[in-house]
Amino acid sequence: MTPKTAAKRSAKPRSAGLPYFTFRRMADGSVLLSNDAGRTAAVSGKDFARFSAGRLGSGEPLYAELAAKGFVREMTDFEGYAAACSKKNAFLGAGPGLHILVMTLRCNHKCLYCQSGALGAGGRGTDMSRAVARKSVDFALKSTNPGITIEFQGGEPLLNWDTLKDSVLYARGRGRELGREVRLALVSNFSLMTEEKARFLVENEVSVCTSLDGPADLHNKNRTFSGGNSHAHTARWLKYFIGRAAKQVPEYRTFTPSALLTVSRYSLGREKDIVDEYLRQGLADIFVRPLAPIGYAKKLWPRIGYSSEEFARFYRNSLDYIIKLNAAGKKIRERHAVIMLEKIVNGGDPGYLDMRCPCGAAIGQVAYNYNGDLYACDEGRMVGWEGDDLFRIGNVLRDSYRKVMLAPASRACAAASSLESQPQCSRCVYKPWCGVCPVYNYETQGSLWGDMPSSGRCALSLGMFDALFGLLKKPASAKILKEWVQK
Amino acid sequence: MSENISIRVSLKKYSLDSVRYAAHSLGGLVYAFIKPLPGGKVLVELSPKPGTTAAKAAGCARLFRGELEDEKLRERVSSGNRELREFLLLKAMNYQPKPPEKDDSGLTPQQEKELNDLIAQIEGEIKAEAAKGASADPLGITSTWEDKYDPKNGRKKIR
Repeated sequence: MTPKTAAKRSAKPRSAGLPYFTFRRMADGSVLLSNDAGRTAAVSGKDFARFSAGRLGSGEPLYAELAAKGFVREMTDFEGYAAACSKKNAFLGAGPGLHILVMTLRCNHKCLYCQSGALGAGGRGTDMSRAVARKSVDFALKSTNPGITIEFQGGEPLLNWDTLKDSVLYARGRGRELGREVRLALVSNFSLMTEEKARFLVENEVSVCTSLDGPADLHNKNRTFSGGNSHAHTARWLKYFIGRAAKQVPEYRTFTPSALLTVSRYSLGREKDIVDEYLRQGLADIFVRPLAPIGYAKKLWPRIGYSSEEFARFYRNSLDYIIKLNAAGKKIRERHAVIMLEKIVNGGDPGYLDMRCPCGAAIGQVAYNYNGDLYACDEGRMVGWEGDDLFRIGNVLRDSYRKVMLAPASRACAAASSLESQPQCSRCVYKPWCGVCPVYNYETQGSLWGDMPSSGRCALSLGMFDALFGLLKKPASAKILKEWVQK
Repeated sequence: MSENISIRVSLKKYSLDSVRYAAHSLGGLVYAFIKPLPGGKVLVELSPKPGTTAAKAAGCARLFRGELEDEKLRERVSSGNRELREFLLLKAMNYQPKPPEKDDSGLTPQQEKELNDLIAQIEGEIKAEAAKGASADPLGITSTWEDKYDPKNGRKKIR
């Protein structure tokens, strides 16, 4: 071979030698790459052009970096690649881990964004009976998932305290008999909490989660409570549970309470107030969650909704402020970022069912309605409450576990949320960590598959990922973010 | 109301799939119609959706051209790695951490032959299982806890 021929050959684009990867051109001109193993690389536009044309020299530092991350086909570490893919998809075949028991549809709040179709506190016939609750616990224990969580929800679950209490004791007893790890969780607005109930929950290792939308004026505007000041109840009992968690005893484990923020139009521009309120209440985490135009919120969307760009700005501002606080020594983390960083940085699966492929419907969670009807997820149950049972997968009193797992809705949700089948998602750089929601698609676009380029949820996710990867590019913020998920 | 944008694309340069994907990616801003033209070409008509500002609509032709180039690369990368990707994902699905390797197996030639026969037999069984298709439920999604871990089945109980 003459040197001339060799030179000619090496100048030819060798893109056939590229491994599989996806990419996104970022606003700053750089290009973000990812692969099935969940590894990423950010390169300049110029370097990307050379890389994709196969013109990156093997002696260059960038070549070594890309090779180590699985972006050079000839250098692929098959064993490491398969191990990384396996780790991030370990949930496949594990069985549903989250079991949501709807204790009642009744609620004493009338939150502006409520998706659950809750009835007033005086409503009748929508409380779960003890028999249905026990059957539900038994059904949940059929799951092959080694660590199931039974979450008591509503409406306001404390309105059906007797059944809730019985279910806790029954689940603890069955768990002991079977040698199974059973985590119990309660989602409550705390307005009906008493010292006696709180003590029972703590002593039976039930973790608690509530809603906190910010300072009193904002919280109470979003979360209308005819019985008085919703924020005051939340603050009082957060203090109680944080205090209990601080004093661990040998007899049982005590958990720190958590709180969820739902961002409404009224929250926009108040990022600092909200984060400061979380710090004031002694919380170490804040979960910035967007509204979904589902249920009651759909009707009020023009009043309380916002565009995906507006939410992305809110999220970015919140994250910037939280990072600033961290840099000043104050410890507070944003939960959505933590979940994504657990995937991006540690390559694990933190068990967040909304952002999985396939989504958590049926194979990751089951929602048990008050009457024993089973739904692929809690959002699917809410659609059922509006009169459309598309996401119903059985009934706990009548159907076998196998029948439920094979229900048409279980299978349809798994198929519809497979990102490889979505034309936009299959080519998206954020595919290794993202997920679509068939219920959201159905409610907003009329099909389980949806249309991602025009989906508000997709735009929100893109905005959040862009914000996160933007911060990961800066050494100072990247250091803080990585510390959040340091093992 | 913004006007429609028409773009001619040669199918000699770009595949029809690339044209479709590039057009689909703009679905948040426009409706796209793809019409065949003589001479191995297609006409892509982008019609702004209600709510798309004139400024955004004006940028759609440039966006489409950029997406088309990116799609061409995606298509090449995807088709060039289909088999390798399937192999890697299959490997990941069945991944078991490798046990530390020993320098010497310590087996006699007869034992080595028996081991190889056993491996061949297991491989045959795996192949037969795989041939049963999806109904075999390889991930055990329809199995209950008892099916999988009941001590009566001789399996280990998880604590």
